[in-house]
Amino acid sequence: MPKLVIDTIELEVPAGTLILEAARSVGIMIPHFCYHPALGNAGACRVCAVKLIDGPVKGIQMSCMTPVQEGMVVSTTDADAVAMRRHVIEWLMINHPHDCPVCDEGGECLLQDYTIAAGHGTRRYQGKKRTHSNQYLGEHVQHEMNRCIQCYRCVRFYQDFAGGTDLGVMGRASTIYYGRFCEGSLESPFSGNLPDLCPTGVYTDKAARFRARYWDYDMAPSLCPHCSLGCATIPAARYRELLKIMARRNDAVNGWFLCDRGRFADHGVNSPERPRTPLLDGRETTWDEALAVLATRIGELFVSHGPGSLAVVGSPRLTLEGNYQAALLAEFLQAGALCYFVERDEAAAASAVVSLLTGDTAVSLAEVEQADCIALVECDLREQGPMLLLAVRQAWRKGAKIFLVGEGSPREQTDSVSLETLRVPTLADIPLADYSTPLVIATPSGSGTADIETAVTAGAKLVFPLSGPNTFAAALLTREHRATSLAEALASGTIKGLLAFEADLPEELLSGISLLAVADRFPSAAMIKSDVFLPTTAWVEMDGTFINHEGRAQRFRKVMNPGLPIKGLDPALHPPRVHRLDAPGGEPRPAWRIIADLAERLGAEQLVEPLSGRWEFLRDLDPEGEGERIL
Amino acid sequence: MSFFADIKALILGFWTTLRHLGRRSATIQYPEEKRSPFPRFRARIVLTRDPDGEERCVACYLCSAACPVDCISMQSAERPNGRRYAAWFRINFSRCIFCGLCAEACPTMAIQMTPDYEICKRDVMDLVYEKEDLLIDGCGKDPDYNFYRHSGIGVVNPRGGNPDENPPLDVRSLLP
Repeated sequence: MPKLVIDTIELEVPAGTLILEAARSVGIMIPHFCYHPALGNAGACRVCAVKLIDGPVKGIQMSCMTPVQEGMVVSTTDADAVAMRRHVIEWLMINHPHDCPVCDEGGECLLQDYTIAAGHGTRRYQGKKRTHSNQYLGEHVQHEMNRCIQCYRCVRFYQDFAGGTDLGVMGRASTIYYGRFCEGSLESPFSGNLPDLCPTGVYTDKAARFRARYWDYDMAPSLCPHCSLGCATIPAARYRELLKIMARRNDAVNGWFLCDRGRFADHGVNSPERPRTPLLDGRETTWDEALAVLATRIGELFVSHGPGSLAVVGSPRLTLEGNYQAALLAEFLQAGALCYFVERDEAAAASAVVSLLTGDTAVSLAEVEQADCIALVECDLREQGPMLLLAVRQAWRKGAKIFLVGEGSPREQTDSVSLETLRVPTLADIPLADYSTPLVIATPSGSGTADIETAVTAGAKLVFPLSGPNTFAAALLTREHRATSLAEALASGTIKGLLAFEADLPEELLSGISLLAVADRFPSAAMIKSDVFLPTTAWVEMDGTFINHEGRAQRFRKVMNPGLPIKGLDPALHPPRVHRLDAPGGEPRPAWRIIADLAERLGAEQLVEPLSGRWEFLRDLDPEGEGERIL
Repeated sequence: MSFFADIKALILGFWTTLRHLGRRSATIQYPEEKRSPFPRFRARIVLTRDPDGEERCVACYLCSAACPVDCISMQSAERPNGRRYAAWFRINFSRCIFCGLCAEACPTMAIQMTPDYEICKRDVMDLVYEKEDLLIDGCGKDPDYNFYRHSGIGVVNPRGGNPDENPPLDVRSLLP
């Protein structure tokens, strides 16, 4: 391990480390645009110049292009290095359109930061600026090429990291242009990372275009609720409106990036159709009345049909807190059934997953990237977990063989990240034992796991992309509290009352139910049919815990208070000019809080902490950490 | 000796009073009589227009960020031609301390301080000024400045049409 000195700090780092990384490891931040920890170096921007005062190489060098060597003495503050960086910034600004006030990147712009840090304030260059035309890049990404500083981050991510083929670099020298050959929507399912990656404002998020500044956002560490991978996100809200979702770094799960579904899919948080007040037989009411009436009606149901006639329903999109409280409520009421899944197959598949996954077989997305053989068994990852595709691509780039198994694994999924694949009819056709770290990615299924069990004996690790963000916890609770599927519970005919918490209830199952209480944040047919409806908060409006596909419990924090967005309120021209202590539409409550309040009205003790007993160890989970594997 | 010193002080005091009797009074009869403040006096805030008559404000949020008492709030939006503007803009003058940091922060010279110091209302809500109350039909100070004629993203002038810009490149051309 070479030893070197950076600004009087002596350090020893592994061979091959770049000076820039070595400096950062001791807290010295060298400015850089083209270098990115996930994409590596390109030596394109020239802004990370340092001076090597002594050692095998001397003089000004780019710290992102120079691996450390024994005996190097590096100065980041040397007058020559500082002057070099100042001049580089000055020429990077030569063609800049100087439009920071109308640029969405303003406030979170690396170019802005480094220009100010370099002290460049007056334009000396008298020549004319080079300009470009922009392209339409689809409904999510806005293009403004005049702001470009030619760092190549976008094409290095798009082509190398994500395997996209439709965005590239054109021209030469001062005419360098990043874009598509023809205008059109970006095709890669990871194109939404361009706004995050671009160090200046060439790519910005269209959804949040001209809506707010970075310093005004309500932000908190959060998770993506759209699939079971549990990618780390930073939702940004302003004026009670969720504006956009940015990727957050979690090296064990999603690395630095996020798929377009996690970023742009409809989340319904701002929707005007979203139910925001408790409903009693279809009319709006107060929380007190709704809960009191519900408690009375549960009592009446118990008198006429007995406690066995009530089913408590949790769901794969409900938080661990809510699902656990649902189990405790079912136990307290001695309810006839506790359900986390609606269909029998779904429940069987989820329970097969928790029995197959152990501490040895389950792997994180970071470990997927280390596999040398990956079999995609009857799955379409574009639907089931796009970030898995990105991880599979990183494994392929390192030399892994990718197999598509079965007719249910379309080639289009691997084509979307430009992978070379081999198609085989069954899992048994892959010589898994020949590889050191084989991996099977399979759609969970309640039947026919024999293939997969054989693969496990051959040393394969397993990944099951599940349906919801908390399916794993629902499956664990199903096993621990002997829950059944809702279809099975209703088939017996004894269930007359349903307490459903964020569950997707199919309409045809609801006939013959005399008491239907629904708590949800989406409008649904069940909401209209319900006797009592209780609005719940979205994941960005509460603290909570999800357990992802590999059994990693992760905490997410409240980003914003629930309430109707100011945009769209009456009067339209400006926010209302009246004082209120509470926000209009701010009534939704977390599902676990609703369950606890209901239980209290039915005679249970007051609840302070939603996680207790078996789950108490997750109380102090760090939302900014990598989460905790519970397997 | 202190006796004579006291007499002297007494006479001096009376003499000073007597001398001021003949001078003109410094007090003016406000509000019948008004003094005109200096042009750079910092009082009521306005939003100005550029020389073309368009709103100067691009709702960049720098004034609200600079405001030490958080009395400015706004929402930016986009016009069909790509021009950024304030959908609403609100200054709470009951909270404003007239420090002028907003005008100093403004990159487009939109927000300016005027010498109109007579802001007094019976209802505090009347001191919350909306955009229609703030926007004036003039350029105020710096009458020639138009932000969009300097920033090169092609909203007022066509792309590459500012005086310091070359026309947009043809990226498919190999000619130097």
